[in-house]
Amino acid sequence: MINAPAPLLDVRDLTVTINRDGKLVTALDKVSFFVNPGEVLGIVGESGAGKSITGAAIIDLLVPPLKRTGGTITLAGTRLDQLSPKAMRSVRGGRIGFVFQDPMTSLNPVITIGQQLCDTIQAHLKLGGNQTKKRALDWLDRVGLPNPDVQFKRYPHQLSGGMRQRVVIALALCADPALVIADEPTTALDVSVQAHILELLRDLHRESNVSMMLITHDLGVIAKMADRVAVLYAGRVAEISPVGELFNAPKHPYTRGLIRATPMPSATGEMRLDQIPGAMPGLGAVPPGCAFNPRCFRAEGDCRATIPPLYHEESSAFSCFHPLERVTA
Amino acid sequence: MLNYAASRIVQTVIVLLVISFIAFLLVANIGDPLAALLSADATVNERLELIAKLGLDQPLWTRFLHFIGNMLHGDFGFSYRTQDPVANLIAERLPATVELAFVSLLITIVVGVPAGIYCGVNPNSLFGRFIMLISTAGITLPNFVVGILLIAVFSVQLGLLPSFGRGTVVDLGFWKTGLLSVSGWRAILLPAATLSTFQVAFIIRMLRTQLMEVGQSEHIRFARARGLSEARIWYVYAIKNTLLPVITMLGLQLGNIIAFSVVTENVFAWPGLGSLFLQSIQGADIPVIAIYLIFVGLVFMVINLIVELLYPLIDARVLRRQS
Repeated sequence: MINAPAPLLDVRDLTVTINRDGKLVTALDKVSFFVNPGEVLGIVGESGAGKSITGAAIIDLLVPPLKRTGGTITLAGTRLDQLSPKAMRSVRGGRIGFVFQDPMTSLNPVITIGQQLCDTIQAHLKLGGNQTKKRALDWLDRVGLPNPDVQFKRYPHQLSGGMRQRVVIALALCADPALVIADEPTTALDVSVQAHILELLRDLHRESNVSMMLITHDLGVIAKMADRVAVLYAGRVAEISPVGELFNAPKHPYTRGLIRATPMPSATGEMRLDQIPGAMPGLGAVPPGCAFNPRCFRAEGDCRATIPPLYHEESSAFSCFHPLERVTA
Repeated sequence: MLNYAASRIVQTVIVLLVISFIAFLLVANIGDPLAALLSADATVNERLELIAKLGLDQPLWTRFLHFIGNMLHGDFGFSYRTQDPVANLIAERLPATVELAFVSLLITIVVGVPAGIYCGVNPNSLFGRFIMLISTAGITLPNFVVGILLIAVFSVQLGLLPSFGRGTVVDLGFWKTGLLSVSGWRAILLPAATLSTFQVAFIIRMLRTQLMEVGQSEHIRFARARGLSEARIWYVYAIKNTLLPVITMLGLQLGNIIAFSVVTENVFAWPGLGSLFLQSIQGADIPVIAIYLIFVGLVFMVINLIVELLYPLIDARVLRRQS
């Protein structure tokens, strides 16, 4: 990290709690990571690990009773966690675009696609009516919708799921944000459509050099898209590594478990599938020490006593007292 | 869209025919028109003549077609009670009721819609809770109690507004309106306010619930994530999603007032259809009741038709469900 450029997004000790009948339960526990300019950071983990909460917390869009209670979020020198609601609004969509998961529910059903695009553009850019419309049509074209003029006047229900997700991506990107947070952008789609949407995201990323936070539970998506990967477990960062290192030499036993639980042909061509014993603890049921210790084959006394800090190496970081050796994988 | 409109209109006509048939059965089977129309000392020949003239010797279906045909020509039969043509009786009372209904609808929209939006956007604010408290009273108090309370305060105590009648009425030839004179407006305020009490309360609660639900939806969250202003999110993106049920309810309520404002009209001695209906029931005046029934059906169907034809303008998905 010594000669690395200043990160675009720097998140430190982000903590989110949920108020359950007056009791505060930690949903996100001191999560730290950064995203460099032009980089794709994958955020991976099981459902409930806190991936989506991380994304929502950055643009202050947590659904109550979830609440951000600590940590700093810095975007290109600006402290997002200290912004007024009004300033935050111009960051949303303007500096940070957000791609939602399910295109069936994330578009307003009674407003035309063109109107939704124009409203979003006008919320951030000072453009006249004609230029706004031109830009909207241009974006419909860029995300690969045929006949933008026709699509402009259509309602979401008149489009297929894949086309709707293209519209969602256009909506997230149409005001030229510096960072895009894509929260499970392909999970709700058919497998054949997933590949197209990923390709589109990669193309747009290459064209505009926008930074991206790609939240997914799918290691296949990570392998295709990400430069670096942050692995979350029970609301904590387990490991952050460049994507090649993560797959070839995971440091955290959980990362290796996650990789081995994904169906992938081995060198000899046979399918190997090992599941991690047990299940991830739910909110408020995180054991003392390392959250993964009850499921970990390397766990020892210290794992059960204290939460391991994030150890930084040259390009990676991991939170484990007994990391895996390079050769063990 | 044309298909949609045509199918709605055909449905309306079919329902109206069914209502007419039921009303016709009422006229055909209850009461004795001969006894009502003939003098006590009429001869058998006069009796037979009238039977032939009224077509009472014809089969039921022929008589029904005749009944429909007459109605299409503006002949609605005669009242047993006053011997006047039913058409005249209704035409005389109609303006008073229609004006009352529209003024109360106006109050409902002007007061209820903004208050409902306020409560939906700020459900936990002090003022929002206060409005909800008041609206509970509006839902639970019966019309006549509200009417009497208003009379007690504004007519008796303060002496500001009249407690009965329509005030000065201007005759436009085809329509006698009370809305062109100051005394007419003064007279209509209390009964219209009485009628709108329930509806204002109802619309507030409905809009609030709808808005709170839409406010939780993913597309509103996405609109926030794109940095749209709160005003735009609530007043355009959210409101448009709540309009269908709201205009449906407003339409039904309008029909309800035109048809069934009996109690309120009685409290304020308002010379409208409600009091005509009451008198006809008391006098077992079957032809008037039957035509009134058809008329009420017509009002509801036409209002409903207009509302349904508005649907596709608000939510294009309605057309897809059709096909």
